[in-house]
Amino acid sequence: MRVRVKLYGTLSQQFPDYRHSEGIEVEIPDGATVKDLLARLEISESQRALVAMEGRILKADDTMRCGVPVNVLQAIHGG
Amino acid sequence: MKFITVNMSNKTIDVGDVPEKYRGLGGRGLTSVMINTEVPPKCDALGPENKLIIAPGLLSGTSLVNTSRISIGAKSPLTGGIKESNAGGTVAAALGRLGITAIIVEGQAQEGDLNILRIDKEGKASLIAAQEYRGMRTYQFVGKILDTYGKKSSVLCIGPAGEYKMPLASIQSSDVDGHPCHAAARGGLGAVMGAKGLKAVVVDQGGNNPDPIADPEAFNEAAKALAKIIKEEFVNVAMMAPLGTAGLVAPVNSMGAFPSYNARKGMLDGWENISGEAMAELIKKRGGNTTHMGCAQCVVHCSNIFVDEKGNYVTGSLEYETIWSMGGMTGIADLDTIARLDFLCDDIGLDTMSTGVAIAVAMDAGYKQFGDGKAAIEMVEEAGKDTAFGRILGNGPAAVGKHFNNPRVPVVKKQSVAAYDPRAMLGNGVTFATTPMGADHTAGNLVGLYLAQQLDPLKPEGQVEASRFLQIAMAAFDATGLCFMASVALLTPEAGEVFMKVLNAKLGTQFGPDDFPGAMGIRVLKAEKEFNRKAGFTKEDDRLPRFYYEEPLPPHNTVFSITDEELDSIFDF
Repeated sequence: MRVRVKLYGTLSQQFPDYRHSEGIEVEIPDGATVKDLLARLEISESQRALVAMEGRILKADDTMRCGVPVNVLQAIHGG
Repeated sequence: MKFITVNMSNKTIDVGDVPEKYRGLGGRGLTSVMINTEVPPKCDALGPENKLIIAPGLLSGTSLVNTSRISIGAKSPLTGGIKESNAGGTVAAALGRLGITAIIVEGQAQEGDLNILRIDKEGKASLIAAQEYRGMRTYQFVGKILDTYGKKSSVLCIGPAGEYKMPLASIQSSDVDGHPCHAAARGGLGAVMGAKGLKAVVVDQGGNNPDPIADPEAFNEAAKALAKIIKEEFVNVAMMAPLGTAGLVAPVNSMGAFPSYNARKGMLDGWENISGEAMAELIKKRGGNTTHMGCAQCVVHCSNIFVDEKGNYVTGSLEYETIWSMGGMTGIADLDTIARLDFLCDDIGLDTMSTGVAIAVAMDAGYKQFGDGKAAIEMVEEAGKDTAFGRILGNGPAAVGKHFNNPRVPVVKKQSVAAYDPRAMLGNGVTFATTPMGADHTAGNLVGLYLAQQLDPLKPEGQVEASRFLQIAMAAFDATGLCFMASVALLTPEAGEVFMKVLNAKLGTQFGPDDFPGAMGIRVLKAEKEFNRKAGFTKEDDRLPRFYYEEPLPPHNTVFSITDEELDSIFDF
């Protein structure tokens, strides 16, 4: 399935052709999880990435849904 | 360890040792304990019985990095309760280097009298007539002060709003570049300063007489290690330096918790236009600075310099909370307008948060349309000119709601909430409701826990406990002079251990974690709660406005679901 991803924080730095208005379309297997998506994007655990879909932060083993866009964020604390 | 006590009624200045009962306290710890001891709780906040206490933290003025938060405390003319508001800049370090534990401003100058308190590099304090600066906005004022007293001066000052004694008036603090762009913004402390007849405190940065350190060798070793921890902490490197606190716009909108259109929605239409990422891109394109050092001895650099299309300075350190209040709440998804509003508030000396919320309440009542940036700028200008409407705005969101008969006023104890909707981040609602300060994001902000997935923001379980833990921790760290970015870096057990070495080496104590943050935080909160109780507050004041309980917030369509009993249990200590 294909999922459109938008990147936040400083994550886009590792994607030289990234354009935020379009995001990235990623091909992942049906039933792929948050963990699978981040692995596909080569975003490591140390980057403390989070995946948000429909107003919620997903857990690592939550499954992605075909056609539902996601935001990949980075952890931050209250300022 | 000395107090400088300035009596504005008879223009006397007394310099004395810190009394035994206040030893070992600094920052918010000192201001709150002193106010609870010395200020009559039912006094007029704008009268001579109130005291304005300016206190650097316990570690300010030492070699430790990121210790330049200045705490300012008084009875608040906005909330009617105790208030501590802290700000970055350079003045805390300057006072610490002079061995000044606090400046206590008491009494009241005669109506129409205006003064500057000047402290030179020897620590000598004097009052100087300031009539020529009456009504002057802060940027022009600080420029003149630096020309007169030298560029290496730190300035705390009020703008016209403080002179007008508006309950939203801030005290502005100059940054390393001499811009008055940091603010002890909340609770109307600028009005207290204005009522005393004090335009500014000007401190020479060249002092070299700090309090002795109990164990200098141990302190230096631990402070060096702590600097490395703070500088290398993940969020500080990955987010705070490149984006600043504005990096919160994307996560909080993505969680549906960004109060928008006077808290009618949890996501702002067009929030991408005002995100930290969009702001950083715009600043870079225009030749501004996204990674600016705003405060003395800072190694995080979360500040920024926002510039216009021609590369000219617009404002310093455009922050998340201001982007929210002036953008989210008002529906103005335009960074240039928000930056202009931020500058105007700093220049007039107004709290950007409560001012933005007051504008949003007016828009929500139909006075102007949401998204009308020109109208928002005009409203703030009116406050600066003290027009009839400007005075209503400067009295705060509750006054604006009353004027327009709009009951949807997002305040607790008359102070506006911050940039996290209590219906989508329940624990932040607990903090807003129960902190003695009135709704406040710095009193115990749970957003970091939500993003670390340690707590579900939409489930009631664990919210009260987490808010309690953070409120105690913040009350303690606010006593040290450390900024929030530095404090967060100390939350691992290893970093916490190094921090205890720093604190003990400075004070000559044998504190453990039960003493700090535990006992220190509880002592401060108890003093604050006691003052508010004596001032007439009851548990009914520790509640959110009704609409949070009744009006579901899109996109989650949830309401605030923490019971009154749970709220009342938070300070069972």
